[in-house]
Amino acid sequence: MNIRLFTTPICPYCVTLKRFLEEKGVQFVVINVLEDKAAQEEMIEKTQQVTVPVLDIDGEFIVGFDRKKIVEKLGIKEED
Amino acid sequence: MVYDLAIIGGGPSGITAGIYAARQKMKTVLIAKSFGGQMAHKTVDIENYPGFDKISGLDLIEKFENQLKGKNVEILSEELHAIVKENDSFKISFEDGKFINATAVIIAAGAKPRKLDVEGESEFLGRGVSYCTTCDGPLYQGKDIVIAGGGNAGFESAIFMQNYANKVYILEYGPEARADEENQKRANENGKIELIVSADIKKIQGSAFMEKVVYADRVTGEEKEIKAQGVFVQIGYSPASHIVEHLADLNQRKEIIVNHDTMETRTPGLYAAGDITDGFLKQVVVAAADGAKASMSAYKYLQSKNG
Repeated sequence: MNIRLFTTPICPYCVTLKRFLEEKGVQFVVINVLEDKAAQEEMIEKTQQVTVPVLDIDGEFIVGFDRKKIVEKLGIKEED
Repeated sequence: MVYDLAIIGGGPSGITAGIYAARQKMKTVLIAKSFGGQMAHKTVDIENYPGFDKISGLDLIEKFENQLKGKNVEILSEELHAIVKENDSFKISFEDGKFINATAVIIAAGAKPRKLDVEGESEFLGRGVSYCTTCDGPLYQGKDIVIAGGGNAGFESAIFMQNYANKVYILEYGPEARADEENQKRANENGKIELIVSADIKKIQGSAFMEKVVYADRVTGEEKEIKAQGVFVQIGYSPASHIVEHLADLNQRKEIIVNHDTMETRTPGLYAAGDITDGFLKQVVVAAADGAKASMSAYKYLQSKNG
């Protein structure tokens, strides 16, 4: 799976999502869209939104920490 | 699963309650979708928490969180559905249908950003409208933006946005800015920030993304507009108290009315702490102290029940 996390430097929701992915052992690349303008343009174009965090899972862009969607897409098993 | 204590909220009050509960060896669960509460969203550093001359909200909450994680407190990151009192304990259910039981509950769910409640606000959410300056602000580099609200949060957002935006307008509903002198002075230091008072925001307009904010001048009645690509709403917070409104008394601002010595609500075994309460000072240090008091009161309550 090719997973990218689009973030800005001090965004609390980005930190929460990053920690969640790390805790679940997901391999992903973090992109700071403040520095990577091409990635910022791509993110806005794909989502039609100006907001972070955004998670790109194999070309599917998920806006915000949408836990249900992320868990489903990544096939993460949650404990009972 | 039955716990002695369930704490709802991962801000300074919830975390402090957790630390105290662990020290009393209560079987405790802390339920929070994320840690930090409003503190994690602060655009400026915290300079009034003892022990730190200056520290960012994110860094301070990380220290809180790390301290909690070393204790024997279970952490659940679930979306809450309902809390009901059944017989002598509380049943806490989650969006996914699961539930837990607890003998005592501390609600420390804080407050959520208040909305403008104007035309276009929902339509352009994420497409110009934002409630999180620290998240989305950096995406507005070189753009003109509006901050709705001339209190401290609005001015602090404007000062933060000076680093990114081309021009920052602060629209304040009242006849003058409500921010303290220090924030107003800092906002005047470079010419990027313009304060417009007596401005009643009426609508947000655009096409694919927002393009302008329309407001009424409350003195002349004239309708005016500002061309802007973003609006950051900073007009205060609404307490997240609806989940316990059937168990606790609320004041006009929907804050939970508590006994400020014990943090008790009107329902035995239910305590509230932090910004969700009717305490007058909404500060990190106060929220932490509330959490400590609530936790110790819950401990006494459990002792009294266990004879």
